[in-house]
Amino acid sequence: MPRHLERQIWIYTAMIMGIGLIALYSAAFENVRVPHKIFYDQLIGVIVGLAVMYGMGRLDYRLFYDTAYILYILNVILLILVLVGGRNALGARRWIEIAGVSFQPSEITKLTVILMLARYFSRRRSMSHFDMMGKIEVIVREIIFPLFLSAISMVLIFKQPDLGTAILIFGIFMALLFAAGLRIQYIVSFLGVVIALVPLGWHFLKPYQKDRLLVFLNPNIDPLGAGYTVIQSKIAVGSGMIFGKGWFAGTQNQLNFLPERHTDFIFSVIGEEWGLVGALALLYCYFKLINSGLDIARHTKDKFGRLLAIGIVTILALQVIINIGMVIGLFPVVGLTLPMVSYGRTSFLMFTIMIGLFFSLSKHRMVF
Amino acid sequence: MRLKIIRIVIGGFFLMITIRLFYLQVIQGQHLLRLSVNNRIRVVPLEGWRGQIKDRNGKILADNRLSYDVMITPQEIQGGEAVFVFLSQILGTDRHTLVQIYNRKKVAAFAPVAIAEDIPKEKAIMIEENRDRFPSLFIQENYRRFYPLRENSAHVLGYIGKMSLAKREQFQEYGYSMHSVVGYSGVEEFYDDELRGGEGGLQVEVNSRAQQVRLLGFREPKKGKDITLTIDSEIQRDALELLADRIGTVIVMDMDNGEVLGLINSPAFDPNVFVGNRDSQEINRLFADPDAPLLNRAIKGLFPPGSIFKVVMAIAGLDTQKITVDTTFFCDGSYRLRQSIFRCAHTHGLQNLIEGLTHSCNVYFYNLGMFLGVDTISHYARLVGLIEKTGIDLPYEQRGIVLGREERRLKGAGGWHAGDTLNLSIGQGQTQVTPLQMVRLLAMVAHDGRVPQPHMIKAIGNTPVEKFSSPHKIKIAETVFATIRQGLRAAVADPSGTAHVVDFSDIFVAGKTGTAQTSGGKKTHAWFVGYAKGKNRNVAFCVLLEHGGSSYNACVLTRELLLRMKEKKIL
Repeated sequence: MPRHLERQIWIYTAMIMGIGLIALYSAAFENVRVPHKIFYDQLIGVIVGLAVMYGMGRLDYRLFYDTAYILYILNVILLILVLVGGRNALGARRWIEIAGVSFQPSEITKLTVILMLARYFSRRRSMSHFDMMGKIEVIVREIIFPLFLSAISMVLIFKQPDLGTAILIFGIFMALLFAAGLRIQYIVSFLGVVIALVPLGWHFLKPYQKDRLLVFLNPNIDPLGAGYTVIQSKIAVGSGMIFGKGWFAGTQNQLNFLPERHTDFIFSVIGEEWGLVGALALLYCYFKLINSGLDIARHTKDKFGRLLAIGIVTILALQVIINIGMVIGLFPVVGLTLPMVSYGRTSFLMFTIMIGLFFSLSKHRMVF
Repeated sequence: MRLKIIRIVIGGFFLMITIRLFYLQVIQGQHLLRLSVNNRIRVVPLEGWRGQIKDRNGKILADNRLSYDVMITPQEIQGGEAVFVFLSQILGTDRHTLVQIYNRKKVAAFAPVAIAEDIPKEKAIMIEENRDRFPSLFIQENYRRFYPLRENSAHVLGYIGKMSLAKREQFQEYGYSMHSVVGYSGVEEFYDDELRGGEGGLQVEVNSRAQQVRLLGFREPKKGKDITLTIDSEIQRDALELLADRIGTVIVMDMDNGEVLGLINSPAFDPNVFVGNRDSQEINRLFADPDAPLLNRAIKGLFPPGSIFKVVMAIAGLDTQKITVDTTFFCDGSYRLRQSIFRCAHTHGLQNLIEGLTHSCNVYFYNLGMFLGVDTISHYARLVGLIEKTGIDLPYEQRGIVLGREERRLKGAGGWHAGDTLNLSIGQGQTQVTPLQMVRLLAMVAHDGRVPQPHMIKAIGNTPVEKFSSPHKIKIAETVFATIRQGLRAAVADPSGTAHVVDFSDIFVAGKTGTAQTSGGKKTHAWFVGYAKGKNRNVAFCVLLEHGGSSYNACVLTRELLLRMKEKKIL
C-alpha cells in the first residue's frame, strides 16, 4: 500500500477542517444569533477528531467485520429510542441523550449501514454457485434482503423526519449494490422499479406529508422557510465573485441574512467571503480526499474492506455534492451537513472515524 | 472497472458544481453583488384568520376585525431619525418612545418591525400617502381578536396574546413562530390548535423606493376552525347581572349530557384589554386587584364545601349500611365532645336522614360522622370524585383537597382527633372543593350515580364533538341516591327547608345549601347547589357567593336565575 495515499488523506482532511474553522469563526464572529462558543466547540472537535483518526488507523478493521451486524442492531435500537423518547419530550426528535451526552443516532447510522451492507455483500460464495442460482433467488438474496435490512433504519430516520439522511442511506445501498458486482441488468431493472414506484407511493402519503414533499421539491412555495434561505444563500455565494469579499466582510453573513449558516449553509459563508477561489479550493480538497479513498479501495484486496472504503467514499461524495448543491440552488434543501466543515458534533466525529478507517484499511490486510 | 465508473460519476457531479459556481460567481456575480449590497428582499408575514368562537345559539363570542399596523424595514431607513419624527407627528406619540420600541423589536435588517399597532384607518392612509418620502414605512393589515360581548364569557374564553419566550420554546416544534399569537387560559388556550390559522407570508423584492418589483414567493395563510361552545350567552349575561358587584361563581350544566350552559365568575374582566395595543394600566390593575378578577373561580377556586358535604356523608352512611333512612339522631342544638361544644344552627329535635338534609342539621351529621369514622368518610369523598379534576375542557383546572388521617400525617400536621372528624362531617376543616366539582356531584346524585362529563365544546367547524357525551358510573348502590334526592327535594319543597325560597310550582328544584365558615374572621361563603327539571331541560347548578354571608343569599340569586331561564324557555 503506497504511503503517499495516507499522507494525502492527512493533508486534505486537515485542510478541509482548517477551512471549516476559518468559516465558522467568521460566521460566529460578534454575532447574537450564532454564539461564539460554537467555534471553540468545533476547535475541540478538530483536535479530538485528529486523535480519533490516528487511533482508528491503529485499529484492525476486522474488528468491524465481526461486529458489523451487532453495531447495526444497536443503532436501530437507538433510532427507535429517538422516536419513542422524542414523542414524549417537546424537543427535536433527532437527538437522544445517554449518560449526559446528546447525539444524533441517524449520523451513526451512515457508518453502521455501510458496515452491515459491506459484510452482507462480502459473504463468501463460489462464483459458479452464483451463476447457477435462479433469477428470483438472485433478486431476493442480492437485492430484496439487503434492501430490507437497510430499509429498517431508512424508515426510522424518515419518520424523525429526516428525509436527507434517509435518501443518503438509499444512496449508500445503491452504491454498494453496484460495487458488490451484481450484474448491471439487475441493477438497471431494480432502479426502474424504484422510479416506477415513486408516483405510486405518493398516494399513500398523508396530506401534510405531501405538503412537506412539495416544499422539498419547490422551496418557493415556502418563502419564509426553506425558500428564503436558498434565495439568500445564492445571493451570498454569487456576490463573493472571484476573490470574495474577504474574511468577516461577507454582508449576507454578518447581517444575519443567512439562517443556519453555521451548520447546513456554511458553504455560503465560504463562497461569499472567499469567492470562487476559496470555494474551488475546498472543492479540490474534497475531490482529492475522495480520490484517495477510492485508491485505497482499489488497493484493498478483500471484499469487505473494499466495500467499506467505497461506502465511506459514497457518503463523503454524496454529502458534499448534495450540501453544496442545495446552497447554490442545484438541489432542493434537505438537512445535510458539509463533511467536517459544518458545525455539528456527531456528524464531525463520525466523519473522523470514517476517514480513520481509511488508515486502518491501508495498514491492515485481511488474512484468510 | 466499477470503481472507475464511481470515480467518473463523482467527478461529473463535481464538475457540475464547478460550472454552477462559475455561473453564480463570475457571470451573475455583479448582479448578485448589487442585490447583496442593497438587499431588497422583504419578508411580509401574513397572519392566518383565527377561528371564531360561538355560543350554543350561534352568537359570536370571539371574532376578528381588520387592524392596521405601521411597519418599518430597518435596512431601508434613510435620513436618520426623520422617519420617527414624521411618525410621531401623525401618531401623536413621543419620538423617543418610538425609537425605543424600534430598538427593542428589531431582529434583522430585512425583517420589518411593527412600530405601532392597530392605528385608525385615516392615519394609516396618511402614512401610505407619504411612502415616497419614507420608503422604509409601510402599513400592514392584520386580523385582530375582538370579543364583542366583553365581560360576558371572559373566563370561559380566555384571551390571546403574543407568544411568550417560555411558550415559544415549548411550541417551536409545532410550527409556532415568534410572531405567533396564542391563546392564554380558557377555550382560547385549550382549543388553540383548532382555532389558530396557519401563518403565511410573502417574500418580495422591492426597489429603492420600496415599491414591489416582483413577488418571489407566497404562502397563503390558512384559516383556523370556528368552534361552537355549549355556553348560552343569555345565561351568562343574566348570571353576571345577578352577581352584580358581589364576588362569586355561577355554573349551570345540562345534567343529562354534561354540557356547561353557563359558567360565570365575578368580578369578570374584559378580554379585549389583552389584545393588540395592550392596555397595560388596566392589565396591571387586573393582576393587582385583591378580588382576583382573572381567576376562574368555577374551576380553579378552592372553597370549603360547608354543609354541601353532608350529601357525601349521607351517601357514605347509606352505602355502608351504617344507617338507614329511618335512623334518627336527637338534636338539642349542640353536640358535646368532652369539654368542647359543637353547635347546630337550631334545635331540631329528633331527625332522620331526610330531615337532617332538609334542615341541614349539624348534630345529625356529627353523630353520623362519629359513627362512620374519618377513614370511611374520606374514602367516600374520594369515591365521588372530590380529589380529582372533573376533566372539563378548560386549562388549569384544580382538584379538591380532602384532608383525612393519612394526608394529615404525611403533611406532618399532627394526629387526627375526634373534633377533626366532627368538622369534616359538616364540610369544614381543611376540605376544599371547586364549584364545578359540586355541580358534578349533584348531577351524579340526580342520575343514580352516573357522572356526566362537564364540557364546553359543542362543535369544531361543523363537526359535533361527541367524545364527552357518555357518563361513567360510580360504584355506589343506586338505591342510595333515591333517598338522598328525597332529602334534597325536601330542602326546597318543605316550608322548613333551608332552600324553600327556590320552590316553584312549575319547576322541580332540589338542592343543598351551604354556609361555609372561613378563616380570618371574614364573612361566610354562601353556597347553593342542586338540580332543576324544567319543560325543556334538566340542569345541575351551583351558586357560590364568596364571603357572601348566609346561604339564603345564594338561594335568592338561584331563584332569580331559574326564573329568567324559564322565561327564556331555556329551562
